[in-house]
Amino acid sequence: MKKSIKGVLLCTVAVYAQSDIDNLETKLKEQQIVIDKMQREIEKIKKSDNLSSSLSQKEFLPDISFIINSSALYRDVKNSDYYNYYIPGFFNAGDAEIPFNKERGFNLNYVETSLFSTVGPYFDASVYFHIKPDAFEIGEAYVTTRALPNSLRIKAGKFKSDFGRINSKHHHSWNFDTVPLVYDAMLGIEGLNEPGIQLQWIAPTDDYLMTGIEALQGNNERSFGYTEQNSLYVGYVKAGCDISDTTALFGASVAYGKNGADGKTTLYGLELTTNSYLDAYSSITWQNELLYREYEEGAETVKQSGFYSEVVYKASREYAFGLRYGALFKNRDIGPDDLDRVTVMAEYKPFEMSRLRLEFSHDRSKIIDGTRESINEVILSLNIAAGVHPAHEF
Amino acid sequence: MRKILTALILFLSTLSAEINVAVTYPYLKEIVQKIGKDRVKVTVLGSAKYDPHFVLPKPSLIGRLSRADMLVINGGGLEAGWLPPLLKRASNPKIAPGSLGFVDVSRAIDMMDKEEATRAKGDVHPEGNPHFSLDPHNIVPIAKLIEERLMELDPANSESYEKNLKAFTKEWRDFLERFDEKMASCEGKKVVTYHKLYDYFLKRYKIESVGTIEPIPGISPSSKYLIELLNKMKKEGVRLILQDTYHEKRSAKFLATRSGAKVVVLPHDIGAVKEADSLEKLFENYAERLCR
Repeated sequence: MKKSIKGVLLCTVAVYAQSDIDNLETKLKEQQIVIDKMQREIEKIKKSDNLSSSLSQKEFLPDISFIINSSALYRDVKNSDYYNYYIPGFFNAGDAEIPFNKERGFNLNYVETSLFSTVGPYFDASVYFHIKPDAFEIGEAYVTTRALPNSLRIKAGKFKSDFGRINSKHHHSWNFDTVPLVYDAMLGIEGLNEPGIQLQWIAPTDDYLMTGIEALQGNNERSFGYTEQNSLYVGYVKAGCDISDTTALFGASVAYGKNGADGKTTLYGLELTTNSYLDAYSSITWQNELLYREYEEGAETVKQSGFYSEVVYKASREYAFGLRYGALFKNRDIGPDDLDRVTVMAEYKPFEMSRLRLEFSHDRSKIIDGTRESINEVILSLNIAAGVHPAHEF
Repeated sequence: MRKILTALILFLSTLSAEINVAVTYPYLKEIVQKIGKDRVKVTVLGSAKYDPHFVLPKPSLIGRLSRADMLVINGGGLEAGWLPPLLKRASNPKIAPGSLGFVDVSRAIDMMDKEEATRAKGDVHPEGNPHFSLDPHNIVPIAKLIEERLMELDPANSESYEKNLKAFTKEWRDFLERFDEKMASCEGKKVVTYHKLYDYFLKRYKIESVGTIEPIPGISPSSKYLIELLNKMKKEGVRLILQDTYHEKRSAKFLATRSGAKVVVLPHDIGAVKEADSLEKLFENYAERLCR
């Protein structure tokens, strides 16, 4: 009896299980139909999507980034007096260039928009627009070759010359917010930034050796500025080496051209930069430049020079501190002789792409209304870089 | 006559020419050397002493790039902060992105943490977490990719590359067998790391990362954040803090003294600590320091 009950029970379980499986299978089939239908739907959408994406050119958008540089400024000289400053023996009242950090109070200095794109197998193109409250400028716009043999490269268009150390760098990548005194005196705040052509060669060695020549228009008014035709030629040699955690970069440059005073100018530059790493995020940079020029004015040749030396201590990823001293040797009997400036700065980077910098400078190089003024200036600047990751250059 | 000359030159060039390979990080050097053996001359651009995201773009690197026949990079955005200007300046067509000599090894890996990129989340890589080389199981796919490229660049020696890859694969699989066994004892451990540096390794060996010392990538922690992390560590019972060699160690020490957890320094690449002087040693170091 027990056995037969057991048998019946087992049988019902089996039957029940069987019908359960059948049930699930039909359900599965129904689901499969739904899935197939959805799959077809997806395929259909994908196909129409393909059509649009095969005509899309999104991948060819150039790399875009923009930089905003603004400041709050205090200066112990009235704006209207400051605009007419001059550096005796170098340039006259009315010729001062103050492209940024001009006003006491608040300044929106510029928005720099940069575009980069590979044009084809042979060229890359770079464009930098400077948009200022009252001007739209093409800062630089040039093409460079991609595939010349033997480590040669040609650049053509309007570009910042590789003369000296700081000339080729944009304002926002300087270690200080103000230009070194000697640049203001001999090349102006914008430096040598002209239409022309450049050829550079990199030696196939483990240490860095680069040499280049440039033919430029020559419209820099401080030292050149001959307007009848192109007249400026630049050449340089730069060498770098690494000694354990220290990197050193040396350079010698020369620029030769006609000036606006019916004569010729030869400008020489010497540079030395060292960078020593203390640990992964802290380092000391020491940067120096000496400029010397022979400026022909009619029958007379004036020999002048100037230099700056700066030390920047990067304490961590966030904080850095810097000190710079610059002086001029004008070699002329106009005004006082001891023209110099001291600048100190402290900067804070809450993130790689944003920077707050507080800078103080004491400037004894400028004449305002016939008398030398010791100008004190405090700048609190904010610089942000947005868009494509801005990679660091040495 | 001319034909003979060109033939002679070609012959001589195949005899003498080693392939100049530039690699961005030390671990890539070892893999390239295992596959290329005496056919390659390898130079490393970024030292293991420093944060791989912030290699100093020394001018000397330009010269080395300008005469390289092949460039092997980690990819995944790890070099984005320092390599592009050097590469542009070197303007060497042989290693331009997209050319045969440009090898991005991240292409061989299915990366984790692919995120929609917004800088509000800090220094993130939309391509995914680029620290995949710290999972030892990713080494063979990388070696395979390098072998394929070497074969294309230097078809005359493709047989030897194939042979070298085979030998290396076997050697590495044997190593993995022993290594995985060692790591098995570590399963289920809970850790805190400074940066999301070890995620691939931790995932592979089922070690749970409870949090990171930096609140978001590239940002140093505030004391408030550290207290929150400390409470989390206590709640979860975290016993290990994984610290790399280049970030500040104060935060880790603070957490260690307050929670009783131990700070373990793990090298991120060959040469970051003295004992880790090869790939195998690098990972053995992990097993030793983690599973003790």
